[in-house]
Amino acid sequence: MTTPAFKTVNGITVDDTFAEAFGMSGTGLILTADSPRWAMIAAQTMTGFGTSVIGCGAECGIDRVLEPSETPDGRPGVRVLMFGFSPDSLLPQVKNRVGQCVLTSPGSACYNGLESTQKLAMSAGPRFFGDGWQTSKRLGSRRFWRVPVMDGEFVIEDSCGLTTDAVGGGNLLIIGTHRAGLLETTEAAVAAMAKVPDVITPFPGGIVRSGSKVGSKYKGAVASTNNAFCPTLRGTTVSELDDKTLAVLEIVIDGLTSQAVAAAMRAGLESVLATGAAKGVTRVSAGNYGGKLGQHHYHLKDMLS
Amino acid sequence: MSVVRLRLLSAPAARLDLSGLTADALAGLSEPGISNLSLGSGGAKIGDVFAVSGSGSGDGVTLVLEGVTPACDGIGAGQRSGTLIVDGDAGAYAGRHMRGGRLDIRGSAGSWLAAGMSGGVVSVAGPAGDYTGAHLSGEKFGMSGGTVVIGGDAGERTGDRMRRGTIVVKGRAGAAAGSRMAGGTIWAENGFGAGPGPLMRRGTLIGPRAERLLSTFSDCGRHDLVILRLITAHAVATLGTLAPAPLPGLVRRYAGDMATIGKGEILLTA
Repeated sequence: MTTPAFKTVNGITVDDTFAEAFGMSGTGLILTADSPRWAMIAAQTMTGFGTSVIGCGAECGIDRVLEPSETPDGRPGVRVLMFGFSPDSLLPQVKNRVGQCVLTSPGSACYNGLESTQKLAMSAGPRFFGDGWQTSKRLGSRRFWRVPVMDGEFVIEDSCGLTTDAVGGGNLLIIGTHRAGLLETTEAAVAAMAKVPDVITPFPGGIVRSGSKVGSKYKGAVASTNNAFCPTLRGTTVSELDDKTLAVLEIVIDGLTSQAVAAAMRAGLESVLATGAAKGVTRVSAGNYGGKLGQHHYHLKDMLS
Repeated sequence: MSVVRLRLLSAPAARLDLSGLTADALAGLSEPGISNLSLGSGGAKIGDVFAVSGSGSGDGVTLVLEGVTPACDGIGAGQRSGTLIVDGDAGAYAGRHMRGGRLDIRGSAGSWLAAGMSGGVVSVAGPAGDYTGAHLSGEKFGMSGGTVVIGGDAGERTGDRMRRGTIVVKGRAGAAAGSRMAGGTIWAENGFGAGPGPLMRRGTLIGPRAERLLSTFSDCGRHDLVILRLITAHAVATLGTLAPAPLPGLVRRYAGDMATIGKGEILLTA
């Protein structure tokens, strides 16, 4: 192990290290449908294949389920968040995902889910599916498009809010000696983070088992396996892991604000420290690039105060 | 917030143009300052016509006009902010070219109410005359934003050449409502008079019934439209207790006017 320990809490060592995260562009959308089930189907479809900007174009996830009283049309809804490197790279992802996954979903509607002075022209694409039959309706300061589809009309708000102060790549590395217990503990940490507004954990079930480092021995690969945290390479590489470690799981956090990412990391860390030791969790660390690449640093010791 | 009360000294013998006498125009003025403001283009001062009490100090001015009659035209015309309360009946052109704030008329309103209005809220407790939210000669469009709610009936050609915004009529909208309409919403709780929407290009007319539909509107059948939920929610958010009853799920949709591009619609709720 090369990273020094900061403190041991409930038998779990917390490394003296930090998560290194990056400035991102982010947006929020509210998807509604006739039932909670179909709102969730639209949300899950739209946010699918949205784990990492490196290979997916955007990082996407479900922020939370919305009660009918919280949605513009009074129907059940889900708020989804999307993150990209820049507004220019985020916009086509929003248009394509809305066009292919929300417009197509029975009974769906799509609204802005982030109040901001900066906007993304969310409807500039999906609305043209109307082939000239689409009409707009301005109500107050908001403009909606009505696109005729086979089950009635798809309603989409003209634009959605944009923030360029979003953060992507907050993370926790959870390390243990029992793979099933480690997964249970990490799942509980993801659930704790999900209660924090304005954040998503975009990987499958919120968890990454394939943490990466920058670069590769192979030309053209921008990222490759984080060999220092691979337990099966312990004897063949400069490893971060001790002899008893069997597995490492990572939670990556994207948020609309840096404060939201920090709050989610704190919630996740508290969850792990509260219940993890009995399930074989031995240590919590975080991933960084030496502090030279990302603008945002989240020190684990700050999460404990 | 400050309150300025202007009581008409005597009922006007001729038309009295009050355009420009708005809540925001009195902001920062003392009582004498308000009295010395010019009224209309005839050279009269406010103090010559009204008894003035109060000043426009503080944030947000509420102007109360008392004793006005239907001979008083242009009340609230051009208002940008603040609240103007009319304790009586307003004449023609009330709220014309209004951009913001609120105009509450506790009686009736004459013709061309909110003509060319672009923002704010106009409420009329009683009926309104013809051409609410319409345009005046030489203007390309009528109302382009804001919300109007009329407690009684509205006259003919409500929303003529209207482009955006919402007009709610708690009573019945007269003949040819939405004529030449380019957008926006007219919601008449007691329905429409004869021939709504002549030469309408875009926009939405909502009501339980129409006296007679033009033959250039095409029946598209009954539908459950999500946009109705948004229109209802917008009315509640804008008008509060003045909002009409929520729209039903199913409406019968007539597309038209097919004599133009046919992108408008009449939605019958009954």
